[in-house]
Parts: sequence; structure tokens; C-alpha cells
Amino acid sequence: MQETRHQFHESLRALEGQALDGLDLVIQQLDRSLESLSYQDVELAGMVVADDDRIDGRYLEVHQGILSLLARQAPVAGDLRIVAALLHVIRCVERMGDQCVNIAKLVPLSGYETPKDKDILDAIERMGRLARSQVSQAKQAFAGRNVELAQDLVRQDTEINRLNREIFRRAVEIGDNLDLREWAMFMILVARCLERVGDNTVDIAEQTVFVVTGLFREFADASTPPETARTP
Amino acid sequence: MRGTLFAATIVALIPLVLVIYYLLHKGLSLWFTSGFFTTDPTGSFFGNPGGIRSAILGSLVIVALATVISIPIGIGVALYLTEYGKQSWFANTVRYFVDVMTGVPSIMFGLFIYIVLVTSRFGGSGYAAWKGAVALALLMLPIVIRSAEVVLLLVPSSLREAALALGAPRWRVVFQVVLPTSLSGLLTGSLLAIARGMGETAPLLFTVATAFGLTFNLNSQMNTMPFLIFTDITSPRAAIQNIAWGTALTLVTIVLIFNLFARLIASRSSA
Amino acid sequence: MNTPDTTSKEQADVSAGGTPAPQSPQATGASKPAVTGKAGHAVNLKDLNAYYGAEHAIKDVTIDFPANEVTALIGPSGSGKSTVVRCINRMHEEIPGARATGSVRLDELDVYAPDVDVTAVRRLIGMVFQKPNPFPTMSIFDNVAAGLRLTGTKSKDLKDLVHRSLQSVGLWDEVKDRLGSPGIGLSGGQQQRLCIARTVAIEPEVILMDEPASALDPISTLKIEELIDELKERYTIVIVTHNMQQAARVANSTVFMLEGEVIEHDETTKIFTNPSDERTERYVTGKFG
Repeated sequence: MQETRHQFHESLRALEGQALDGLDLVIQQLDRSLESLSYQDVELAGMVVADDDRIDGRYLEVHQGILSLLARQAPVAGDLRIVAALLHVIRCVERMGDQCVNIAKLVPLSGYETPKDKDILDAIERMGRLARSQVSQAKQAFAGRNVELAQDLVRQDTEINRLNREIFRRAVEIGDNLDLREWAMFMILVARCLERVGDNTVDIAEQTVFVVTGLFREFADASTPPETARTP
Repeated sequence: MRGTLFAATIVALIPLVLVIYYLLHKGLSLWFTSGFFTTDPTGSFFGNPGGIRSAILGSLVIVALATVISIPIGIGVALYLTEYGKQSWFANTVRYFVDVMTGVPSIMFGLFIYIVLVTSRFGGSGYAAWKGAVALALLMLPIVIRSAEVVLLLVPSSLREAALALGAPRWRVVFQVVLPTSLSGLLTGSLLAIARGMGETAPLLFTVATAFGLTFNLNSQMNTMPFLIFTDITSPRAAIQNIAWGTALTLVTIVLIFNLFARLIASRSSA
Repeated sequence: MNTPDTTSKEQADVSAGGTPAPQSPQATGASKPAVTGKAGHAVNLKDLNAYYGAEHAIKDVTIDFPANEVTALIGPSGSGKSTVVRCINRMHEEIPGARATGSVRLDELDVYAPDVDVTAVRRLIGMVFQKPNPFPTMSIFDNVAAGLRLTGTKSKDLKDLVHRSLQSVGLWDEVKDRLGSPGIGLSGGQQQRLCIARTVAIEPEVILMDEPASALDPISTLKIEELIDELKERYTIVIVTHNMQQAARVANSTVFMLEGEVIEHDETTKIFTNPSDERTERYVTGKFG
């Protein structure tokens, strides 16, 4: 026998699917923006910028779906927490998309025959891989309502933050070559974008824990002093 | 189908129409005879037969007494059945016996009172008006009880609940909510019982007998309209027979008036 | 089973059964008259069991209803919520074959104690029913005064009491020119408010409401809900409702019942955002019931 409110729960599942698939789009964008950066591919960078429309479109779709569900179905309890979380999640998706665009926009600016620093490049590459895996893990954690997986994201994020600080330090010590210094500043910006992507995945992790436990706790990360857990 | 039912209705109405016609044809002229309503029957075979005043008043007096006895008791029993007894075995037994009583031939009540009160000369008299009233009351009682119970059951239980929930004791719920709400229905039922009582002859035969002169002494014999019809209609003298017709018309008219009253009250309350 | 966090209110408001503590008048709004408030009164059920003949309708129910708060009872049909409420003012025993065991306390008063007069209990614990039931033979005025007349209570100023009662339910302006007209001539929503005025007029301490708005149109329902919100300042209110959204809008705390047992009892927000029991979650999200 069909459960009562079958339509509603179907709609909710579909909406969640739409929001989480946005994370797949983010991964795509992330991959391409980092590729365009390493190969100085301006055309690819341009595609990343243009494709952000898809992510923005996805945001609007999910947002509209949430409004509709709230107005018509009056979700409560667990359903309500999912809907509220999805609002956050889709926001994070949109922001992560914007970070990818920011990275892509830096590609033409960072010049053609530029001097490069191996350490910084390695660090950026590692950050990129980490960010990618974090986005993927965030999707898995939310979809699976997996609290352990969500909490693990915090651990991974400390690594990204560490790399970010390292790049900054390295850029400061890079030397007197003007071109090199300029390039390093751009790399700082890229690192910051990647670090922000990491923070957004932590937000998604917090939302996952909220959906499961009904408690909202901000995960302390290495970049901010530890906060006391708060319950609404 | 429709035609058949229509025809059946006409057939059923024919006797009624004939009765009314005969009553009017034979009795109406008596109404305009001088002294018909204002003088008592003389009781003599020859000469002026007199009027029917004592019969009319006697009927009214006896039925009034029967009403005073049967209505309060009847409504009381109905209240017991609906408010307190409900479905208990005792209440159901009472209901059963009340149903039986509605089917008892009216002459049985007369005979019962005859044996218990008349032959024993209870109260120092043989036939007496009050004994006839008691017999009539016994006859009217089951009618009052049944109609009252129906009306009382129609009072929604939500009203009783509302009154109880306000902290009213049961007796107040009955007297301040249930009775006022069902009042018009109770009145209608009572009027119908009275109309029935007015027309009953058999109970009066062995209990009140008759008298010619006007009397209000309840402990003595009294004249009544049904009895008058009963005796006069078989008289060989046509003039006396006509008195019977006039009395019959009067009786039917009085019963009709009571019925109309009952209908008026019923329609007023539902409006 | 969770109990709501209302310790401060309960401790402040325990008083001997029925006697109003002196208190400054509580105004409920500029247009409403100041009515002398009573100290809050709490109701406590402990191990309440009720039977209809052999059928065991409610099982070991223990609930605390905090003073001056609205507590809602929700649950599917047949879960026993109406039975619980009818045990509080002892209307349950009006049904032939029905009985109840356990303890129901109004402050310090044990409602089921053998020496307690049931009509006195019902004067302290008023009830509003699902279908509005004004007395059809009485005018609007008489309906409001009915509570007093039916209990043989003399009132010093009946007109004033009727006026205040009708005002407190927001009905005064609508009927002040036709107090003598029959109570049943009003619309459904007005009739229900009239019934509430009738209950309020006897100045109870607790008001029980058994699905008070389920027979009304949506606008009347919202008006009743607003009224409940105002009334809780002076009375402790228990409301049975099958409309979960209504419970969500109106109640401070909510009790979820299933098959005669209390499953969960907590702050309304918690019940509707993060219930502790799986069955509560499934019921409020509509997965069954």
C-alpha cells in the first residue's frame, strides 16, 4: 500500500536529488577551472565562466521548488529539516560555482610565459584534489545521511586550510622577481577560492548533521578559534 | 402505479367524507335549536328532550381530571426512561408494558376500574366521575408516555452534555434544558392524548354511568357526550335520535379543535 | 516520554484547589475589559486508565498540563485523546458502562476523590465541544447566563457578567444589539464563540476543548485560534485536535497519543521540528494516520 502523502515525499526526494546533483556540476566546474589554470587554457576558462549559468539555473530551480513545497505541503519534523537544509546546500552549491568562476577568471590574468614556483604549484594541485574529494564526500554524506562522513570533512578541511596558509607564506618569501611575485599573488587568490570551496563543503556537512540529529553545531576548523556548540 | 395509489387514497377517504357529510346533515340543525347548548337533557321520553349542556361540561370535567392525572405521570415516566433508565433491563421492561397497554382495548380499563373502584364502592359511591377520569387516565397514559419519550429522545444529547459540562446537576438539566426544548412536542403529544380521551366511550360505561342534570360533583355520576350518543341513538323517538347526531357533531368538532391546536403548536415550533 | 520545561510556572502557581489567589487584573487588549485574573491552575494526570465496559481505552496516561498554557493532544482516530479529556472533567462517567482509574488532580484537588461533588468539578473545569451547542430555547443573553442559572449560582450583576464574557470572546460588538434573539440564529463560528462565552461566564480554572473548530469554516477556525491564544492568559487550556497544523499554531506543548498511550509529550516546536520518537515523526509527517 502506498504510504500517505506519497506525492509529497516523492517531490521532496526529487528536490533533494536536484540539489545534490548540483554538487556534480560543481565538481565538473572545479576540474575544468583547475585544468585551464595549469594549461593556461583561456578558452576552457571561458567555458567555465559561461557554464556557471547552469549552476545558477539549478539554484533558482531548487529555490522555487522549496518555496512551493513549503507553501503547499507544510512540511514538519524531519521533512522540514531536509527542506531547510536544502536551502543551505543549494546556496553552497551556488557559491562554490562562483569560486570556480573566480579561478577561471584568473587564468588570462596570470599571463603566458610566466615564471612558476614548483612548491606553490604542487600545493595548488593538492588543494584542488582535496577540494574535489571534499565536494564529492559532502554529496555522499548528505545523500546517505552519514554523520561520520560529515564529521570527517572537517578533518580534511584542516588540510586545505593548512595548504592555503603555506602558499601564502611561500608567496611572501618568493623573492624579488617582479613577474614571479605577481604570479604568486594570483596563486594566493586561487588558493583562497579553493579554501572557500572547502568551507562550503563543511557547511554542507553541518547541514547533514542537522538533518540527522536536529541539532545545529558549527564545526570548529583550524582557521577559526573553537566555538561552543549551539543548539537552537 | 400512481393511478392505483391515487384510487386507493380516494377509496380510503370515502368513509371519512361520508361520516362528515352525515354528521353535518343530521346534526348541524340541532346546533341552531334554542337551548341545545344551554339546557340539560330532561331524560324524559316525551316532551322536550332538552339540550346537552351537562354532557358537554361533564365530558370536559372528566377529561380535564384525566389529563391532570395522566400527563404529569406520563411525562414523568418518559423522563425516567430517557434520562435515567435508558437501556437498563427495568426500563426496557417498562417500555414493553407501555407498548402492551397501548394495545389494550379501552373497555378493559373500564372493567378494571369497575371491579376495583365501583363495585367496592370506594370513596363511598358506586359510579363516579372521578373513577371514570381514572379509567380515561389509564387509557391516555401509554399514549402520553410513548409520544413524550419520542420527543425527549429527539433532544440532542449534545445539549445535555453541554449542560452537564457546565456543572448542572441532572435534575436541572432535565427541567431547565430538556423539558423546555421538547416543550412543544410534549404539548402536541398531550393534546392528541386529550383528543383521544374525549371520544372514548367504553371506559365510561361502567365507571361514570350517566346523569341528566348538570353536576360538578366528582364523586357522583355525570353526563358525558359519548354516553349520551350511546343512549340516544337507539331511542325510537326521532327527536332524541337527532340529539345524538347533534352531540356527535359537537364531539367531533371539539376533538378537531384539539387536533388543530396540536398542529399549530407543532408548526410554530418548527418554524 | 519527555515532559516540557515549565517548572517555573508550575512552582509559582500551585494553589489550594479552586480558591482564586488575589491578582492584579489582566488586560488582554485595549478593547477588552480588565477581568480579574486567577492564579494559574495546573492539571496533572497520573496513571490514568479508562474503560468502556471491557474495552481498555486509555492506558497508564501520565501528563502534566502546565498552568496558563495551551496543551494540544494529537493522534489518529481512536487514540484516546477525547477520552483523556473527558476523564478530566468526569464527563466520561456519563456514558453507561464507562469507568476510570488513576489520579486526576487540579492543583491539590483530587478530582476523583469520593467526597468530591462532580458538579463542583465541572464548574472548575469547563468544556467546549466539537459541534457548537447553544441552548435552542434560550436567547443569546440567556445562553451566556445559562451556566449560572443551571448551577443555581446567584450573580450580583448578571448583565455585566454577560457583557464581559461576550467581550472576552470577541462577540460583543456583533451581538450587542440583539441579545434577546435566539442563540441558534448565529452563524457556526459565532455559535461556537457563544459556547465559549457561556463556559467563560462561570469562571472556570481550566477549559477543555474537544476539536472546537473542526465543524467550522477556515476563517472562523482562525478566529477561534486567536481567541484561544488570548484565553490562555486567564485559563489553562487543553485542546484535542485532529488538525496538526492547528496544534502547531496554537499549543505551547503537544502530546502525541497512539492506541490509548502517550507516546511523546514535548514543546510544540520540538514535536514539529525534531520529535524524539519514530512514531511521532511518522505521524506528523503524514506517513500514517
